[in-house]
Amino acid sequence: MALLEIKNLHVSVGGKKILNGISLALNAGEVHAIMGPNGTGKSTLSNVIAGRDGYDVTEGQVLLDGQDILAMEADERARAGVFLAFQYPVEIPGVTTSAFLKTAINAKRRAEGKPEIDAMEFLKLVKAKQKLLSMPDDMIKRALNVGFSGGEKKRAEVLQMTLLEPRVAILDETDSGLDIDALKIVSEGVNTLRGPDRTFLIITHYQRLLNYIVPDHVHVLVGGRVVASGGKELAEQLEAEGYARYLSAA
Amino acid sequence: MKQSALLDHPFGARYAAALPAADAARQDARETLALEGLPGPKREEWRFTPLRGLAKIPFIPAASADDIDVCDLPADVPRFTDAHRIVLVNGVYRADLSDTASETGLTVTEAKTPDHGVDAPLAVLNAAYMSGGVTISVRGVVAKPVHLVSIGAAGAEPAAFHPRLAIAVAPAAKLTILETHHGLPGQPYFSNPVTTISVGTAGVLRRYVLVREDSEAFHLATTVADVAADAKFDAFHLGLGGALVRQEISVDFVGEGAAVRLNGAYALMGRAHHDFTTFMNHDMPNCTSSQVFKGVVDGESRGVYQGRVLVARHAQKTDGQQLHKALFLSRGPQIDCKPELEIYADDVKCAHGATTGELDPDHLFYLAARGIDPQAARLLLVQGFLADALENVDDAVVRDILSGEISGWLMRKASA
Ligand SMILES: Nc1ncnc2c1ncn2[C@@H]1O[C@H](COP(=O)(O)OP(=O)(O)OP(=O)(O)O)[C@@H](O)[C@H]1O
Ligand SMILES: [Mg+2]
Repeated sequence: MALLEIKNLHVSVGGKKILNGISLALNAGEVHAIMGPNGTGKSTLSNVIAGRDGYDVTEGQVLLDGQDILAMEADERARAGVFLAFQYPVEIPGVTTSAFLKTAINAKRRAEGKPEIDAMEFLKLVKAKQKLLSMPDDMIKRALNVGFSGGEKKRAEVLQMTLLEPRVAILDETDSGLDIDALKIVSEGVNTLRGPDRTFLIITHYQRLLNYIVPDHVHVLVGGRVVASGGKELAEQLEAEGYARYLSAA
Repeated sequence: MKQSALLDHPFGARYAAALPAADAARQDARETLALEGLPGPKREEWRFTPLRGLAKIPFIPAASADDIDVCDLPADVPRFTDAHRIVLVNGVYRADLSDTASETGLTVTEAKTPDHGVDAPLAVLNAAYMSGGVTISVRGVVAKPVHLVSIGAAGAEPAAFHPRLAIAVAPAAKLTILETHHGLPGQPYFSNPVTTISVGTAGVLRRYVLVREDSEAFHLATTVADVAADAKFDAFHLGLGGALVRQEISVDFVGEGAAVRLNGAYALMGRAHHDFTTFMNHDMPNCTSSQVFKGVVDGESRGVYQGRVLVARHAQKTDGQQLHKALFLSRGPQIDCKPELEIYADDVKCAHGATTGELDPDHLFYLAARGIDPQAARLLLVQGFLADALENVDDAVVRDILSGEISGWLMRKASA
């Protein structure tokens, strides 16, 4: 059984059809990449998996360990192990990054029947992960994402992922906005999380990321459909040729 | 018409009879009070904050009650270590609870008579029955902040008290003061303080005020401040409790180049009512006033912000900003926001803004996507909304105290 299975997913937003029957099976241990032109529904797919309101799922299922999660609230899905690294992380004034991280970590621990993390352990853990991502220590004292640069926001998303250790991680254009060094650092962060119990869905416009995070499967999303799937060579081909051949077919 | 603006109230002959004979200043104020009464709903400045409920309660002077016994500082009063502590119980200075080690430049004396004429209606009531208070005078830089604690308590009957506070900052002197207002549960009490402030030329006053009265209590505070040339007056007011609270603050710019920052926040639940009424009287050129107020409202509560900025014709280069932001946690509360700009000078920079809204669904989803349940997410966001207002509190210790008070309010709300 796949860890995450998307079955014939149809989604509309405000009466407009965005996803037209997507099926994907992500097995534990695998990394899948999704590429596709702007506006084809990549973020819509990630939001629907994560449980954002405002989408009408008109048909299909999203199964985690064989259980349909579409009826679950977003926070329940997250505690069940679904993580979305946002394409556009929101700024939340007044909420410090550290208070937010601690609340998120404790929400997960509570769901697992573990006691809350103590303050010292929390700081040590965050410090270690920040170091891994070459982030300054004092970043967690700042309000969540407020005034973070584009690249800092993306790094902060990856920091959250490494702290929460999800089973299904969806990275929506986490590479955009990252400088060359940051791209490597963040990729290493992802690679250290790769493992037999986890799966990744990586949305990107650039093949370069996939040189660092080598995917097992690459899918092309056009017009709310998966129009092609293949290995990592598919990404190289897209980089060279663009989407022209899929657009005319769609 | 005066008649329709009047309210019958309990501060007449019966109230006066419970007190010793009045001195001339008090007698004078009682005569004005008899003529003018308490402001009714037809008085424009009191339209949003009706005193009908207050006026129906048969208050007695707290000073005349012999069944009130406060011998300790209540446990929930924040402890400001490393500060001079001045404690007032029902407006009366209590040396036994205070702790003011002597510091050069700082003089604290008990106030005996209402010697400043302040003509706001509640200040007239205060002068008529002024029942204690302190005068704080500052020369030079006072390193240790002052923590003034006010405790209200009634006995078997509802009780009222009317203290006078005066803060005088000499030219080039500096003071930080935290005032916290609390009370004991029981019969309602009514705290009616009047504060007169003067900040001398190039002086600096930081004043932080927390109003966390008992949920049945009334608190109507009037502050008038004179700010001299190149002086700085930096104030932050936090309203977190009381049945009916009004914090009225008027600032007179009496010298050029003065800078005033008047910020505040409030959080209301149940049927609580909170009113910020401010007046910036720009009567001198080259002064700045900046106001940011934030409110969180839930239940059937009501929040009021009335901010008037008056810029005289000769007050060129005035910079006067005001902003009010309200966050609704449910559909029940009401907000009345009335910014007023009255500008007679032509070279000024003045603006006001107001926003109201609910919690941002994008923020809620972001937190949910990290496994945080809706209740905890709302808590975090409301706390964030209020904490953001605290960014303007320069004193780190005070900021921590106020931040703890906000957490306390959220905990009370969660268990309400
Ligand atoms: N709330 C909405 N209301 C109306 N249209 C929407 C809404 N959300 C998304 N859409 C539309 O759905 C389509 C797919 O959007 P989506 O964000 O999923 O694209 P994407 O593939 O992630 O694009 P990009 O590569 O630019 O990030 C777009 O045409 C977008 O305008
Ligand atoms: Mg997108």
